[in-house]
Amino acid sequence: MIELYHVWKQYQKPHWALSDVTLSVRKGEFCFVTGPSGSGKTTLLKTIFREVLPTEGQIIIGGKNILRIPDSKIYTVRRPMGIVFQDFRLLFHKRVFDNVSIALRVLGTPPRDMKRKTFIALRMVNLHPKIWDYPSQLSYGEQQRVAIARAIVNNPRILLADEPTGNLDPDLAHEIFSLFREINKQGTTVIICTHDKELIRRFGGRVLHLQEGKLHGKDIG
Amino acid sequence: MSNNLRFRARELSKDLTVMFYLQKTVPAGERDLILDQIRRSPLVGTVHTISPEEASAKFAEDFPDLKAILLNLNANPFPASIEVSLKDPGLPTASVLQFIAEVKKNSAVEDVQFNREWADKIRSLGRLAEAVGLFLGGILVLASFFIISNVIKLNVLARKNEIEILRLVGATNTFIRIPFLFEGVLMGVAGSAISLLVVLILIKLFPLYLGSSLGALQEIVGFRYLTLAQALGLVLGGGSVGLLGGLTSLARFLRI
Repeated sequence: MIELYHVWKQYQKPHWALSDVTLSVRKGEFCFVTGPSGSGKTTLLKTIFREVLPTEGQIIIGGKNILRIPDSKIYTVRRPMGIVFQDFRLLFHKRVFDNVSIALRVLGTPPRDMKRKTFIALRMVNLHPKIWDYPSQLSYGEQQRVAIARAIVNNPRILLADEPTGNLDPDLAHEIFSLFREINKQGTTVIICTHDKELIRRFGGRVLHLQEGKLHGKDIG
Repeated sequence: MSNNLRFRARELSKDLTVMFYLQKTVPAGERDLILDQIRRSPLVGTVHTISPEEASAKFAEDFPDLKAILLNLNANPFPASIEVSLKDPGLPTASVLQFIAEVKKNSAVEDVQFNREWADKIRSLGRLAEAVGLFLGGILVLASFFIISNVIKLNVLARKNEIEILRLVGATNTFIRIPFLFEGVLMGVAGSAISLLVVLILIKLFPLYLGSSLGALQEIVGFRYLTLAQALGLVLGGGSVGLLGGLTSLARFLRI
């Protein structure tokens, strides 16, 4: 379970990126975070995987207050998570295989398992024929799918995705959301930041709406 | 160089002898008295007398080119001598010099040659070369440290994105740091190995460059290769400097 209590985040005065956000996401839940640009969606995800520290408030994941975990142990927070970044954060001097398998390499996965799991993850996003390409050889949408493959390769307990279908055509976006749904059915908690209302309507789930850092929640479907 | 000089001094000390050169005309009785005095000394190991004829023959054997000069001289220029080997090469110089002074009181003893003085002089020179070597070595170690440290700093900066992604996918600090430290050690070890190779090449080339013009002095200036322990020490030292450079750089530029 992911719990946020009165989380505030301020990058620069006087604006608050997050303003008294309190929410709870149950284990295995499928959840959307929506809101206009600059409403704090990305900041919300970043506080959950502790890339940014909130100015105030508490974040409890799996019963542990992640803000009390020292920096040297931050990997214990991130290892059970898969994260799809809005800017992909790919290594352009490394091949698709290396970009995806990096999440397995840090866990000390044996090379054979690493190859198998990387191939499976790439097949799930329909990018396995390009396993040995460099990201610079791929289209924007394909790069996004590499980022998704990296997030799901180690079967995370929590999947956080920041605009994962922003650059994909509708068919592929639908395919990716179906994939997230499949992963969710296996017990993974999924939180997706998106603008795509059509996809939200089609897939259903809890919708958390952010407006100027404030949370307005409602359930759809 | 210091390594070579110290080796040379050690070799000379091992073969520590005192040569007493006698007057041309010494009655046999007086010579026996001197020999007796020498043999009674507790410092003395073996005593060997060399007649003028034996000295002349040895000279002719050691320096065949100069044999003709000897033949042109009508008389044998070499005096009779007594070669005394000391029991213990580690004896203090002062006690040996006192023993020499005692023997030299005999009017029949014309001159004395004690090769330890040479050994001491060479050893002093070796110490000087060692001090200079340590000073220059210290500068080089510092330079290597800063170079390695800076190379790693540049690598850390160049791989900033990769480090960030590694952290985000759950890499431990050790996992991120180890490749950089390994890189530092590798640079240190490679640097020392290359320097060993350069020394080896110098040792091979230096005598060719000098030719034979320096004669016996060539023994002293001619380099000897480092012992296995010294070479291993150099490589391990290089690795340690690399590790230290890496650790310092990571502590400053990879705060994770």
